[in-house]
Amino acid sequence: MQVAPIPHNEAERLAALYELLILDTPPEERYDKIVAFAAAEFDVPIVLVSLLDTNRQWFKASVGTDVCETGRDISFCSHAVLQDDIMVVPDTLDDPRFADNPLVAKGPHIRFYAGAPLTMASGLRLGTLCLIDRQPRTLDALDMGILGTLRDLVVMELSNTTGDADG
Amino acid sequence: MAKPLQILLVEPETLLRRTVVMTARSLNLAQVHEAASNDTALGMLRSRPYQGAVISVECIGSGSDSHYDLSLVDQLRFGDTGVTNGQTMPIAIMAHQATPQLLNALRERKISRVILKPFRAKVLLEAIAGFAGAPGAAPGLAP
Repeated sequence: MQVAPIPHNEAERLAALYELLILDTPPEERYDKIVAFAAAEFDVPIVLVSLLDTNRQWFKASVGTDVCETGRDISFCSHAVLQDDIMVVPDTLDDPRFADNPLVAKGPHIRFYAGAPLTMASGLRLGTLCLIDRQPRTLDALDMGILGTLRDLVVMELSNTTGDADG
Repeated sequence: MAKPLQILLVEPETLLRRTVVMTARSLNLAQVHEAASNDTALGMLRSRPYQGAVISVECIGSGSDSHYDLSLVDQLRFGDTGVTNGQTMPIAIMAHQATPQLLNALRERKISRVILKPFRAKVLLEAIAGFAGAPGAAPGLAP
């Protein structure tokens, strides 16, 4: 297993995350609706809005798991926030970064992961909207477009600190 | 560079609507305009030409009187709505269930495609992409 390197702008990234005052807050319908939609759209068992804190990833919204956080060292999200594009791992067993990750070897037995970085207007990537499956799979261009759109909707909600939603 | 297709999506569910609109734009599939109701849609159809429409239809009434509300389609196909290409515009219908009555009604109205529940953004986007070269045709079913 490879632990992801710390982003070069980690201090700014964490400052932007803390400024949102969102960590450890209760679930909100505006995020829950997006993860539920994504789970149905992509037919995956687990969808997360994951925010990357100093030593953990914390889930603002989730489908398919009751866990609210995991260690940052084993998180897929910490790898996904290193790039602008969506990070797709079609089969974790074929990827040396993740093949012996405890989230692969034990529950939830991740085999497929797609994480769209939550990139704010500042360019800072605070976490991911991610799809997880227990079997290998791929995404086509249309799937990638839809995941990118749902990620954009999460970013819009994160940027909308008043929590106003239009339906 | 070709002008993007102008498509109207009539769908009450906000998240599905926004996902389709934003994804179509990001992938340069089409310029999808959104309406949450038939009344809004009719006003939009009168205001500019569209090369296709995806219209969600609701089942109304109860028991043996229940039927799908095709009023917007009827206004386009048969009405004097002032919509220039209303009689020939390719239309895809979103319905919860494909009943024989619905399919007959859609054939009479030259509907090109029926999309059944669960409604996925991907299926709607594929239907929209299909408008690029699709004349009105006999209904086909999409799960």
